[in-house]
Amino acid sequence: MSNQDETPENRLRKELPEEVSAGAAEAAAAPAEQRTELSGRQRLVKGLWPPRVTRAQLIVALLLFGLGFGLAVQVASNSDGDSALRGARQEDLVRILDELDDRTQRLEDEKQGLEKQRDELENSSNQAEEARRQTVEKERQLGILAGTVAAQGPGITITIDDTKGTVEADMLLDAIQELRAAGAEAIQVNGVRVVAGTYLTDSGNSVSVDGNKIDAPYRFKVIGKPQDLEPALNIPGGVVQTLEKEQATVTIERSDKIVVDALRAAKRPDYARSSSQ
Amino acid sequence: MIAVLGLVVGVVAGLLVRPEVPAVVEPYLPIAVVAALDAVFGGLRAMLDGIFDDKVFVVSFLSNVVVAALIVFLGDKLGVGAQLSTGVVVVLGIRIFSNAAAIRRHVFRA
Repeated sequence: MSNQDETPENRLRKELPEEVSAGAAEAAAAPAEQRTELSGRQRLVKGLWPPRVTRAQLIVALLLFGLGFGLAVQVASNSDGDSALRGARQEDLVRILDELDDRTQRLEDEKQGLEKQRDELENSSNQAEEARRQTVEKERQLGILAGTVAAQGPGITITIDDTKGTVEADMLLDAIQELRAAGAEAIQVNGVRVVAGTYLTDSGNSVSVDGNKIDAPYRFKVIGKPQDLEPALNIPGGVVQTLEKEQATVTIERSDKIVVDALRAAKRPDYARSSSQ
Repeated sequence: MIAVLGLVVGVVAGLLVRPEVPAVVEPYLPIAVVAALDAVFGGLRAMLDGIFDDKVFVVSFLSNVVVAALIVFLGDKLGVGAQLSTGVVVVLGIRIFSNAAAIRRHVFRA
């Protein structure tokens, strides 16, 4: 059996034949009867106990010390977490590196795609935000025209004192028309906002604006360019002269800050619909 | 007995000291360890056979280690390091197995 085991070793390496031949030489030197009477197990026990300090034992111990040391070091360095690559060969490392590069590339691509998506989303949300902002702005502007929001700005205050009750609705309407023609942007009369649909009617000695009865003195708050509004009222044969002919007193004050804070509710038209869209 | 003690002391020392393996030796250490293991099993078997000789053991141990490292080195230079070291490990493994079989027969008689 041992011969069978040794034949491949012979081909592979030279030391076992040496071992065998040396062993044979030793066996030849050793007493023949000892070899026959001792079994392998007995030899093992005999070698282990009692310990003998011989040159052979010391040399073998030295070599085994080296083996154990190398074994422990290798195991320790292999089981270190970071050194999973330590034992890897160059080709493996190159392959791993390539794989990592590929992976990095893929992840980079993915990242770019996601960033693009994010930008698009941000853009669209920015656009939505912009649209919303514009809508709010427009609502404000339209709200000033429709009288649903308060307005402030430079303008004039007109006070028409009508002690004799001679001022009629058409005179006030003339005044409003004149103001509009001169570029008035927001008007209120005695706490009633004047808008596109405003109507004025006579109501006894006083006037109704949109059905709200107002009494003299009629106080107009007008936002617009004062330099345009005041002359527009004061032109010869204009509003002021007509009113003064009717014994009413008209006072016009320019102001840098007129607040038109009379509001009216936004009313949904019953019949008219936007024809665009 | 002293030889076994040497092995144990070596393992303990290696675990306690934990030296940094130099980069030059790194690729050869595992193969060298396997080769040395092969030599040790061969030596154990020779002892059980009663033909153990310390000189032979020393020479076989060292030459095993050197040849194994040399093969790996050569394989690395030729660009077939991975395959060649696999081959070396396989061959050494076969030898270790056959030696272990012989040892087993001696010890357990089976």
